Amino acid sequence: MIELPLFIDLGDAAVHTLNGIFRGSILFMIASGLTIIFGVLGVLNLAHGEFYGIGAFLLTSIATFFVVRIAAPTDPLSTAIFAAAIVIAVLLSAAILIPIAGAIEATVIRPIYDRAEMYQLLLTYALLLILVDTIRIIWGSQPVRPAAVDGQQIHAALDVIPMEELFGFQYSSVRIFTIFIGIGTFLFLLWFFDRTKTGRIIRATAIDREAATAIGVSSDRVFTLVFALGGFFAGFSGALYSVSAIPATAEMGGTALVLSFVVIVIGGLGSIRGSFVGAILVGVVWSWAIAEYPPAEIAAPFALMILVLLVRPEGLYGAWGEIE
Amino acid sequence: MSNEDQSEEKETIRLMKGLHLTKPQLALALVGLVVVLLVPEIEGFFDNLQLDTFHNGILWGMAALGLALLLNKTELVSFGHAAFFGGGAYGGAMLVNFVGVDSGLLILFAAVFFSTAMAFAIGWFVADYVAIYFALLTLAFGQLLYAIAIGSPTLGQDEGLRLRSGGEASGDPPSLFGIEFTLQQQGEYRLVLYYFTILLLIASMIVMYRIMKSPFGSALEAIGQNRTRARFIGIPVERYVWGAFTISGFYGGIAGGLYGLRQLSIGPEGTLYVFVSGEILFMAILGGFQTIIGPIIGGIVLTFLLDNVRFLTEHFELIIGILLLLVVFVLPKGIWGSSEDIKNGLMTRVKNPAQLGADVGTLQKMLINAVRNAITTIKIILFGVK
Repeated sequence: MIELPLFIDLGDAAVHTLNGIFRGSILFMIASGLTIIFGVLGVLNLAHGEFYGIGAFLLTSIATFFVVRIAAPTDPLSTAIFAAAIVIAVLLSAAILIPIAGAIEATVIRPIYDRAEMYQLLLTYALLLILVDTIRIIWGSQPVRPAAVDGQQIHAALDVIPMEELFGFQYSSVRIFTIFIGIGTFLFLLWFFDRTKTGRIIRATAIDREAATAIGVSSDRVFTLVFALGGFFAGFSGALYSVSAIPATAEMGGTALVLSFVVIVIGGLGSIRGSFVGAILVGVVWSWAIAEYPPAEIAAPFALMILVLLVRPEGLYGAWGEIE
Repeated sequence: MSNEDQSEEKETIRLMKGLHLTKPQLALALVGLVVVLLVPEIEGFFDNLQLDTFHNGILWGMAALGLALLLNKTELVSFGHAAFFGGGAYGGAMLVNFVGVDSGLLILFAAVFFSTAMAFAIGWFVADYVAIYFALLTLAFGQLLYAIAIGSPTLGQDEGLRLRSGGEASGDPPSLFGIEFTLQQQGEYRLVLYYFTILLLIASMIVMYRIMKSPFGSALEAIGQNRTRARFIGIPVERYVWGAFTISGFYGGIAGGLYGLRQLSIGPEGTLYVFVSGEILFMAILGGFQTIIGPIIGGIVLTFLLDNVRFLTEHFELIIGILLLLVVFVLPKGIWGSSEDIKNGLMTRVKNPAQLGADVGTLQKMLINAVRNAITTIKIILFGVK
């Protein structure tokens, strides 16, 4: 019998790929919201990246609030309490975005459903500008990180949670959790739109708004719900990203937005499966570009997109306009 | 040109084939022309009027004019128009840096050629798509170019390129019409460039007017109204959209090339970024994309605001965003496009002051309705319709 080493030391290639899947999970949570909002409301929300940015900034504030009040992780119990606090902080950051997104939909986006696309785009672009500056007014224009624990970042404090025994290799625990949350979100959304009553109501409204209204669905409520749901997941991914050592900047929303476009174009607009596959692909390509040839960092995902468009103009899971 | 229907009844003056103006319109155009030509002379008398801002505003307006062709006729929203503006600027700058040309006209020619070629290539990809997909893809292509410019060491990454001789910071500006300029003569250089810009502006406005009135323009309008119908009556839809996209890239190229010549130093952030595309779109709509003069006015107004609000407050994006919201809800036809409505509205109120009282009543009703709607909305969102 061959004796396998207990912990595999991952090579560079595997680390880049894992980083890519991590980024892909984050991207999926943003892009899925964008794609669902587009599928149901018919509005391409240019301000969606800012929800992600707000989530990240909210986490820095809330996590700092917890970190200075909770004992630093030293033994298993205190680590568990610390981790629970961070999870609560992430959920709280995302939850704050539900009323924000809902209010935005109900006040400014609702009146423009019947207007031409250029006004819809212009309006969400205006929201983008307003939200970017709101972030700058609240948190300043410098990059922000959550307060350090015992001189180390949150993710480092959490990375003491052992991963080797579970998976047999050494990699950041926080990122592994994020990947699992990304996959979990994907499965949840599939289940939600396929099996639950609310999910089916949303799909019905997306397909035929008038018929849905006729059988007693409030389309206004559905639209607000969908927009708030998208805001929640964008904020959630921003918060998770912020936990993983990446400082929050006012510009992060723009980059995320543009990469989400690439993701949904690759996957096919309106398709949740497509945006998952697209997000993982873009994440991996992006990470490899950062590691191997940094100048191509932003260009590589676009090259991938053009490649996909040449082969399949309607995207990998070409739904283009309907949720599936 | 917005009230061309009435022009048949009134006495018109024929400037050229298909371009008739009434006397007041002609007078207005002449006054506008004189003001534009006099800007370098009178800028000293006004604190807020800078030739630089005005010149840049005209250039952005020219790019917006190209975009207006797509917006107005084919009803397609290009959210990546910075690609052609920046493409033009970079096209010219590359000629200076890699070939060593220092003739302004050649640089402009290269700029136009480069961005038209790019519009031609991108147009092949996007001509099949409609509505939001078109916006999404143009945005993505624009960002791709930005990514290339900011990632490539040859293109100077985030520093960008210079258009001075030898690409040096203290190099001379390019020559114009055979006149050489030294570093000290930059003022004269910019003045010559300004008048050249005005010439090109007038030419490009007339050409755009002719394009919009041509059978090609009508075909584009048919495509905008209904693609299937247009296809059935024999219009090669994709080819025409492709053509219109290339023309609008051509306009972006002229504007970008001139912008490069004017700034003498260009960077990806100011010419290629997605926000720049948003600004160009905003300019076209702010001024009124259904007219020829509108986009130019939009360009000048927004550039003026951007340049001046930046000094007043750090948070100019917030102000611009709120302004944008107002344009979407209150002034969808733009400044120039709504001028007729505003004039009529004012005239009615001057003739009949009692109308003002009715206005207050209408406003009151609107407010009460808004509050009532908000309460209902919150109720529905929280508890459903039951």
